[in-house]
Order: sequence, then structure tokens, then C-alpha cells
Amino acid sequence: MEKNENMQFESPTFTQRLKGMLGVDIYRLFHTPLFYIFLAIAAIIPAMIIGTTGMPGPNGEMTEPLFTNVWQAIASDNPLYVVSHIGQYANMNMVFIFGGIMVSIFIAHDYKSGYVKQLFTTHPKKQDYMMSKTIICAFAMACMCITYLLGSVLSGLLVRLSFTVNFGSLICALLGKLIMSLGWASLYVFLNIIFRKYFAISIASSFFFGTGILIIGAAAVVGNSSILNIFLYGASVSACLSSGLLSVITCLIVSVSWAVIYNTIGTHILNKSDVY
Amino acid sequence: MNAIEIRGLKKSFRGMYALDGLNMTVPVGSIYGFIGENGSGKSTTEKLICGHLVKDAGTIKLFGKDYTDAGVRVKVGALIENAGCFPSSSIYTNLMMQAINLGISNTEEEISRVLKIVRMEEHSDLKFKKCSLGMKQRIGIAMALLGSPALLILDEPINGLDTDGMRIMREILVDITKKYNCTVLISSHILGELEKIATHYGIIRQGKMIEELSAMEMDSRARIFVSIKVKEIENAKKLLQSKYKNVCIVDDYIRVYDEEDVEGVVKHLLDNGHDVSEVKQNKVGLEEYYIELMSKKEEK
Repeated sequence: MEKNENMQFESPTFTQRLKGMLGVDIYRLFHTPLFYIFLAIAAIIPAMIIGTTGMPGPNGEMTEPLFTNVWQAIASDNPLYVVSHIGQYANMNMVFIFGGIMVSIFIAHDYKSGYVKQLFTTHPKKQDYMMSKTIICAFAMACMCITYLLGSVLSGLLVRLSFTVNFGSLICALLGKLIMSLGWASLYVFLNIIFRKYFAISIASSFFFGTGILIIGAAAVVGNSSILNIFLYGASVSACLSSGLLSVITCLIVSVSWAVIYNTIGTHILNKSDVY
Repeated sequence: MNAIEIRGLKKSFRGMYALDGLNMTVPVGSIYGFIGENGSGKSTTEKLICGHLVKDAGTIKLFGKDYTDAGVRVKVGALIENAGCFPSSSIYTNLMMQAINLGISNTEEEISRVLKIVRMEEHSDLKFKKCSLGMKQRIGIAMALLGSPALLILDEPINGLDTDGMRIMREILVDITKKYNCTVLISSHILGELEKIATHYGIIRQGKMIEELSAMEMDSRARIFVSIKVKEIENAKKLLQSKYKNVCIVDDYIRVYDEEDVEGVVKHLLDNGHDVSEVKQNKVGLEEYYIELMSKKEEK
């Protein structure tokens, strides 16, 4: 070790700090089972939905199939802010609900283990922590979206559902959903920062907001209006099988805007409060 | 330049002051023993230095720079309460994560180096949750040592360890302080252990620093005494009190303070018909000095 008297203290740049934090989160994501479990869950969900759709009921009567086309498991035909039955929830947006649970567990482990103390003892700033967690959780949810897609395609092939689709709209819908991972991740990171001392509340709040219950209430008042696109759930719904480039741009603006808002407020809260 | 310089530090929890204008100076290269009773504010001070808590008022400078400066913080290592490791991950994985965070390039070498210091090189694949308390504390020290810190903050690293664990920990701490020239701030209730390694002391009470002194100053202030074991202890005490000023009984021994003439004390007892079974000449240690200081403060 160097002699203390002769030490030079060189401040790491923002990029170096963020690189370090991201490096830790990436390493942790791929070296713990949590991520793989949630990838598997994301793949199993569409398989269960598609596999059971149109099966005979308890009295042997045939129920109306939920989907006639495999891509309906990814996104609805049109933006459905107000759903008429629970089955209309069943699409890739469910990944964001499970993603919320994953984010809660991921962040709660930081605090429960005390690892967050090791982080903040050294150079990372609260802003670096918020940004790194948002980016890595967005990445994890985007990966979950991809395994959901793979699960849907494989299940569709097995039950021989139709694959007919407007390819351009499908790509736009998929891109929109992937982009929305960032917005959702920032919301969940923010919620978990607020409730960092209470794991049960943080996981419950992530689930609550992930289902889009608040926007469903708003949708009941304003109807299927595109004004709801300013919310995370609204923008996620707008990425549907009839969407185009405008929908992708909407998702991008909404996702990035909310990410900036949640990160700014979250950083402020962390800066003004004790770590634990 | 001081490694730590704290002025007027205040921190309250729900309106109650845990630190009330604390001043503290830790010289560069020192091993600073931070002493105080439970709830005196030791851990709060350490957590504030580490940036875990938000201060209400005051300044904290590390190596002359503000304590939030990233350049200084990258050279701080700490073991506060626990090691801060993921229980289901291996020791190696936990160390690797911190090494990546610190931006260390030769991670493998650095992990081997710190594991060797804490004598855990054989156990790197062991899951953290499978480790004993002593091992966990050693891993915590290994985490803190990654990246060769200029300042090491250790909060009660010996507490809760068995005799063997304490011995190993003491050897590690001596190793670190002797071989690796970094400033160490260490708090502990086990003053006897602290006395063996500390070069400076800070004594805190009710959120305020009541005394800061070097080990040399401590040594010069320490009073010498003759410790004697006799059968009729009360009578012997009365006899010695008639000739010497400071005589008292501590743990079944009579102590005659500030007296260098051991033979004279013993002769006085023998001449008056007392059986002397044991005689020692000693100095007041850190523990006794601390107790004495605390009792003086309580009297005030």
C-alpha cells in the first residue's frame, strides 16, 4: 500500500462510476438464480395461456378460444385501455407485472444483505445507484419480453394457432413493449427506494402499479382515449397489433420521460435520507 | 494533513441527538481506537463518515477533502455491523462484485491478496451463509481491504467472536496495521485488545468527544501502582492508608497508587504481621483509565 502522506486522490468520472455500478449489477444478475427463474416464468406464462385456451370446460362444453392468432398473446388487436373480460389482460404486459416482483427482490437483497453499505462506503453516488438499477432492471425485463415471445411462438406452433399478422405492426408492437421496459423499471426502482425498509409493501406496490389498476379507473371515465398513452400502462397498451411507428415513438417518449422523472425524484429521496 | 477531521458534527434520530457537536481528529497513518459506552455515538459517527447516514450539521473531511468526494471515497474501506455480503453467493462472488465496483483491473490477483491477508484463501468457494461469525467478520475485512484503502473503518470487529476467533482477528488487525500502511479507525468494547494495537484514542460520551490522546500521552498519564495480595485485606488496607495516600481494593488486591518503592510497601506490611502472598508493580491500563474518566464525568 502507498504511504498515506503521499497519496493522490483521483476522482472517478461519472462514466467510470456508472460502469462500475453497472458491472456489479450485470455480474450479479447473471450469477444469481433470480434472473433465470423470472426468464422461465416469462416463457411459461404464454405457454399456459395458449395451451389452455379453447379447452373443454368442467362439463365438457367447448369454451370460446381466447386467441385465434398466436400474436394476440403478445399484444391486443387494438389499444384496450378498458377491458371487457379478464382474458384481455393476457398479453406481454403481464411481463411487466412479474418484472416488478423481480425488481423488488433484486433491490431488497441489496438492503437486506447490507451490500448497499459496501456500495455507498466507496465512490458510487446515489444517482449512479438509481441509474444502474433502472438500466439493469430494464434490460432484465426486456429479456423477459423476449422469452415471453419465444414461449408464445413455441406454444402457438404446438397448438397450431394462426401466425397471420401485419409484420410491420408486430415489429412496432414488440419494439414498443421492449422500450416500455425502461419506464416500468424506473417506476419499480423508485417504489422500491421509497419502501426500501419494508419489503412486503414494496413488492405489493410494484404488483399494484404493474397491473395498471389506476389507469383502468381513469379509463372508465375517459374511455378508450389516446390521452391515456401518457401513462406507462397506457403507452404499453398502445403498442398493439395495429400500431405503427407513431406508437413506437410514443412509447419511447413516455418511457424515457418517466424514467427521468422517477430517477430524479428517487435520487433526491436517497440523497436526503439515511441509507438504512 | 489528517485522515479524518470532524467539526461540530450533529445527528439526531426522531428529535434525540445521537451526536451533539462532535469534534474528532484522526492523524494520517494512525490506528485510532474509538471508545465509548453503548449508545454514545460511535457507530453513528462511523456511519456518517461512510456516508450511510445524512448529517444534520457539521463538517467531515477525509484527507483534507469533503467526505463526499468520490476520489477520497474510492480509498475508504469499512466493516460496519456486518460484512454486507449476499448470503447465497460464494465468498469469491461477493468479493468479485466489490472489486468490479471499485474498478479494479486485476480482480483475480486482488481477491487472492485480500483472502490471504484474512486467512481465507482456502474457502473462496464457500457460500457466505455457510460461514461462521468469525469467518464472516474476516470476509468483511477482506471486502474493506479491496483496492488498498487509505482509510479503514472497523466497527466492533471483535465483538461476538470466541477466543480463537478473537485471536485470529487480532493477528489479522496487527498484520494489516503493520504491513499495510493505512489509517485505521476501530471501535471496540474490548479495550484490552484495542490497547495492543492503537496509536491514538478518542473517547466519546453522549455524542461528544470528551478526550482525544495518543498512546504516548496515555502512557505518560497512566499511574503506576503496586498490587498486593494479603489474607486480611481490610486490616492491611487500613494499615497502608495510615502511611500512603492512594490505597484501595480492586478485585481482592490492595492497590497503592503512585508508589515506586515496592520493597518499602511490602516491608511495612510484613513488619506489622501481614502475610503477603503476591506482589506486582503495574500501570493503569486503557480500561481502567476509561472507567476512571467516565466516573469523573458522571460525578460532574
